[in-house]
Amino acid sequence: MAATQGIEWKKLSLREALDLAIAIEEEARDRYREFAEQLTAHHTAEAARFFEHMARVEEIHRSQLAARREQLFPGEPPGAMRERIFDVEAPEYDAARAFMSVREALEAALSAEEKAYAFFVRAIPQLQNAEVRTLFGELRDEEVEHQDLVKAEIARLAAEPGGPAEAYSDDPVAQ
Amino acid sequence: MNLEAPVVPPPPPAPLQAKDYKSDLKPIWCPGCGDFGVLQALYRALAAVGRQPHEIAFISGIGCSSRIPGYTTAYGFNSVHGRALPIAQGVKLANPELLVIVAGGDGDGFSIGGGHVAHAIRRNIDLTYLVMDNQVYGLTKGQLSPTSPRGLTTVTSPFGSLEEPINPLLYVLAYGAGFVAQATPADMPGMSALIEEALRYPGFSFVNIQSPCVTFGEEDQQLRAHKSRMVPLAGLRHDPADQLRALDLARAYGKELHTGVFYRNPHPPPTYDALARQRQAELGKDRRPRDRVLDRFLLT
Repeated sequence: MAATQGIEWKKLSLREALDLAIAIEEEARDRYREFAEQLTAHHTAEAARFFEHMARVEEIHRSQLAARREQLFPGEPPGAMRERIFDVEAPEYDAARAFMSVREALEAALSAEEKAYAFFVRAIPQLQNAEVRTLFGELRDEEVEHQDLVKAEIARLAAEPGGPAEAYSDDPVAQ
Repeated sequence: MNLEAPVVPPPPPAPLQAKDYKSDLKPIWCPGCGDFGVLQALYRALAAVGRQPHEIAFISGIGCSSRIPGYTTAYGFNSVHGRALPIAQGVKLANPELLVIVAGGDGDGFSIGGGHVAHAIRRNIDLTYLVMDNQVYGLTKGQLSPTSPRGLTTVTSPFGSLEEPINPLLYVLAYGAGFVAQATPADMPGMSALIEEALRYPGFSFVNIQSPCVTFGEEDQQLRAHKSRMVPLAGLRHDPADQLRALDLARAYGKELHTGVFYRNPHPPPTYDALARQRQAELGKDRRPRDRVLDRFLLT
């Protein structure tokens, strides 16, 4: 469930909005890295590789936004936005599972992109700064592009047997 | 010419961020485990409280959730099963300046260590006890735990449990805990705020966190179910100063998933650690020098 704390949407400046957008990408990057580590540790290599890829994608988005911020506000210290957001574009922790298939990993990423899109859609009407509205509109549209990319990847996996990976793995061993 | 360099005050320390409390050790919990969310909320709460990592001590027992001390940059003691609270009380008395946090599971806290909870509460030691309640022994692979619901089938209850679960909320409220709350990783901002409030409470504070076990837990205990079931106490207009109402709400444990502060003592009594320091100061006035301690046994 995407959420924020203590953000005054009406007063949000362009610099703060960029800080927020950077924090959102950073949070998603870190979460995908965590998922990759978790799944590597739990012998789920293919999904782990996909999450590593997603972490790289989010890092590219973050660095693009950071470069834009530096161009507009050179040398200005970053605002503390990371502590004010919860799972905006990052998949929630319960999206990962040991032995999950690549298809399930893609679906987790798609849910995360849809969640981020919904976040920007909800935020835009609350904004008063025209530049921030424009920026958030761009970010919302990018989320649609990202969703399309993930959907295309899911479609390419059409030949893979359906159903959750749990159906093909052994139950946990009780003692 | 004044050779003395002007005194420049050092810049104020940068505010701490959640990442400052994260250690390099990677959690080995099952992917999807509720404890990942708890850990993240804990980092946020610590950053909000703003104590430096070296001013914090995490004490735990044994279990999946008891691995938490290793995942922070604070001092940590992953102790023995069920004994986190006695050790934490010793730590707090030895170094009252530390922010002492105890983390563990429902089995560690309410079965193996169950006897210690009452005494930590009645002493009102200033520490925060976070219980990650998943209603099962997860680390040892799915046995019945003290908070498992009646009828639950596990490897140790193959025909279904015949026991009523312990109600952690009623238990700590009945012993007089000054701060009692319940949270779930399904509401990350709410959980982070509750942990922060518990850390700031001056006295024994308790947060029961419904942290799902993705491997051995029941379907209706998973985060997806929590999201549809949870009922924030704030939405019920509950006044956390109302202890009787808190007891009444706590009775719904296992049936309803109430989140928020059940009870916060509006007039926190002095803590045991503060009283102990006070007594030390009083007795210290008449203390014999150490080399004359044995004099009292001399025959005159």
